[in-house]
Amino acid sequence: MAEFKYSNIEKEMQAYGFDKVIKSHCRMCHGGCGTLIYIKNGVVKKIAGDPDCPINHGTLCSKGIASAQLAYHPDRLTYPVRRVGAKAGGKWERISWDEALDAIAERILNTKDKFGAESIVMGYGTGRENEAAIYRFANLLGTPNVLTAGHFCYGPRIATSIITCGTNPVVDYENDPKCIMLWGNNLVISNPDEYKGEPFSASLSKGAKLIVIDPRLTRAAARADIWLQLRPGTDTALAYGMLNVIVNEELYDKEFVANYVHGWEPFVRRINEYSPEKAARITWVPKNKIIDAARLYATTKPAGIQWGVAIEQQINCADNDRILMAMMGITGNLDVPGGQMLFRPPKINNVGTFGAHKMLAKEQAAIRLGGDRFRLAANFGIINPKCVWDAIIKEKPYAVKMLFLISTNPMLTRANAKKVREALEQIEFMVVSDFFLTPTAELADIVLPAATWLEMDYVGDFWKRHGYLLPRRKAIEIAECRSDHEMLNDLAHRVGQEEYWWDTFEGGLDYILEPMGITWQDFKKMDYIRGDVRYQKYKEKGFATPTGKLEIYSTLLEKWGYDPLPQFREPPESPYSTPELYNDYPYTLITGRRLPGFFHSENRQIPWLRELHKDPVVEIHPQSAQKEGIHEGDWVILESPRGKARQRAKFFEGMDPRVVSAEHAWWYPEKKDPDHGWDESNINILTDNSFANCDPAMGSTHVRTLLCKIYPAKK
Amino acid sequence: MTIHEIYIDDQECWGCKTCEVACKQEMNAPEGVKLIVVSEDGPKIVGGAPDFTYRINMCQHCNEPPCADACPEEAIAKRSDGIVVMDYELCSGCRACIEVCPYDAIDFDDDKSIARKCNLCHHRVDRGLIPACADNVCLAHCIHFDDSNEKKKRDNMLAS
Repeated sequence: MAEFKYSNIEKEMQAYGFDKVIKSHCRMCHGGCGTLIYIKNGVVKKIAGDPDCPINHGTLCSKGIASAQLAYHPDRLTYPVRRVGAKAGGKWERISWDEALDAIAERILNTKDKFGAESIVMGYGTGRENEAAIYRFANLLGTPNVLTAGHFCYGPRIATSIITCGTNPVVDYENDPKCIMLWGNNLVISNPDEYKGEPFSASLSKGAKLIVIDPRLTRAAARADIWLQLRPGTDTALAYGMLNVIVNEELYDKEFVANYVHGWEPFVRRINEYSPEKAARITWVPKNKIIDAARLYATTKPAGIQWGVAIEQQINCADNDRILMAMMGITGNLDVPGGQMLFRPPKINNVGTFGAHKMLAKEQAAIRLGGDRFRLAANFGIINPKCVWDAIIKEKPYAVKMLFLISTNPMLTRANAKKVREALEQIEFMVVSDFFLTPTAELADIVLPAATWLEMDYVGDFWKRHGYLLPRRKAIEIAECRSDHEMLNDLAHRVGQEEYWWDTFEGGLDYILEPMGITWQDFKKMDYIRGDVRYQKYKEKGFATPTGKLEIYSTLLEKWGYDPLPQFREPPESPYSTPELYNDYPYTLITGRRLPGFFHSENRQIPWLRELHKDPVVEIHPQSAQKEGIHEGDWVILESPRGKARQRAKFFEGMDPRVVSAEHAWWYPEKKDPDHGWDESNINILTDNSFANCDPAMGSTHVRTLLCKIYPAKK
Repeated sequence: MTIHEIYIDDQECWGCKTCEVACKQEMNAPEGVKLIVVSEDGPKIVGGAPDFTYRINMCQHCNEPPCADACPEEAIAKRSDGIVVMDYELCSGCRACIEVCPYDAIDFDDDKSIARKCNLCHHRVDRGLIPACADNVCLAHCIHFDDSNEKKKRDNMLAS
């Protein structure tokens, strides 16, 4: 392949008469790609990838390019509003920022005074680089309750990796892995954290072997040397089957195991419970493929496991993460070039320090919702959503009286959506900060207009684990929209936290950078900063765990009362665990495959992105469709014991006929009533949020596999 | 003489559709009009193995473009550098070009009642820029724009 060419910036400026170009850092997903923002007469005219950015090398995705359509969207909320009349009545009055923040501050102080700080729950969805500021505000307020997606997205990777090997192991694409095992991840479509799809794609073009673990035939699965089409939710058993081969054929790194692993013997005993035959029976993957994949991964060095959120939104969440870390370690792929790196950030006040977790009183941390039930999560400040809904509805173990939700739409994105709605209807006072009046925001008391990434300065990626910091530079201002961190900085001054915040949030950016002896103004002039890259650090200092070793056998999980070794649990609803239910709900439903253009519940109102994918689509094997009387393109009903949703049928032969695959987080911004069709196609109406359906340590809700029936919608 | 050429490696395409949106950003084509389209091919069984690929379709800038012959307004012409350009000012909206295109690469713009197709961003190319879809936009690096003579030289080098 030829060396890639791209247009140069000067010619681009000349040809179109742009006034200026600003280098920045996109945040249409979980953050990550360097961008060029071309501006004319103060308006963003074009967005492109930054060729000098080490993450995306000039490429970008559809979401990044379409960012200006988000910023200038006619439906965007551009000033604070207060609800007039009943919830979901759709009546709002414009108020000033001072009125809004004074009202919120007064409510916060009164609620804290009457019911305790813990009765105020702060929240966000996927962190949108506002998480450190939100935690800082909550911790200084004294509430231990911050409701995030962290129980089942990325949070588990951080929590489990810290207790197992010290930090999140990231595939070192910059040093050409020779084998990549893509496990429950479709990083060419979705937003993998740290690195993006571009360096993965480049590694394959350079000849890296590819193993894909996915119940669906993705393009990556089709390109793979080996595709393991597992039964949804059986990842841990599959990993054990592969480990059985790796250990019994002695394909592991004996020197590493002898010196740097804690709990090898009990782990081997557990491994020996899963012969490849048994793993094949559980997972529906042919035994020979399990053996071949194990051999290919273990003998091709360096190798990386690119994992994704699909293995975390399961009852086996923490153990899936941990067993893959065990596999990385014993094959000698941890902290080696082209393997799985434990990168270090530059010397900064990191996300934990910024989050002011140490400022939260011990007695407040001790009453974190669900803290006694989900002890791994609680140790990382993470809570399970049902704990919050219960505290609102049943006032147990104590009442939650106020929600402050920032960039999150839980009616679409959390399990058992009808229960979520019930809680949001019942909460006494709710503030939402978002771009639009979403179905969740329609139930709020006050809604604040949030800024997009084009409208803010920030130290991009400072919370990530690839060691890079990338400046996000403000390009435009839109009406009264404010970034979440500017908003919180202002609000903090109104609730008595002023000594811990700054005159403007630029002071917060300076604080992040302070240990390096630079300010935001200095950093703004740089392309990026990266922490020192050093390999096999464990050889000098061990791993940053209690034993100093790779804790395959976790001393912390053991201390907290859990199985210290990874354990496979059959999905809570499945042909095997609930055979009676299976009679009535005869398909395994998988949810949440990723689509270009959308990010969870976002972007259905962005014209260029909605045009890529107009309707929610459920994939069904043609054999099964025929059995159910379903034609291609029909609207069909998906039903579980919790409820129903409608999506359009698409025939897809790349899946086991016993499995159907539905999309998540659909609502219809084009429907202008306050419901915006939130309950029409919302797959989380079907998912279960009971504690029995959650990872016992991490509290991750098992939303990725359940049982359903599927039938044509009435015309 | 420079002969421009766009070449697409479908095998490398991941279906991210960034090219579609890059094209929208550049050309601002209305909803429903796509000058470049990524579509799914499969899943199907090829040689006993499951296969699933994406195909990228756009104007092929034919050597003897049937659309140019079919157009009664002479709105379509092949330039000496290989680019087949449709002049929207001249288009009367008769759809003759849409009917004869063997690649189904011409769309109809209902808003303006004219045909639309990829003009290979000739307005960019003439200023020394690369067409929007090929300007290092997608993660697969699967759409390349080049001088065909340069490409031939390089291919020969690779072959030898």
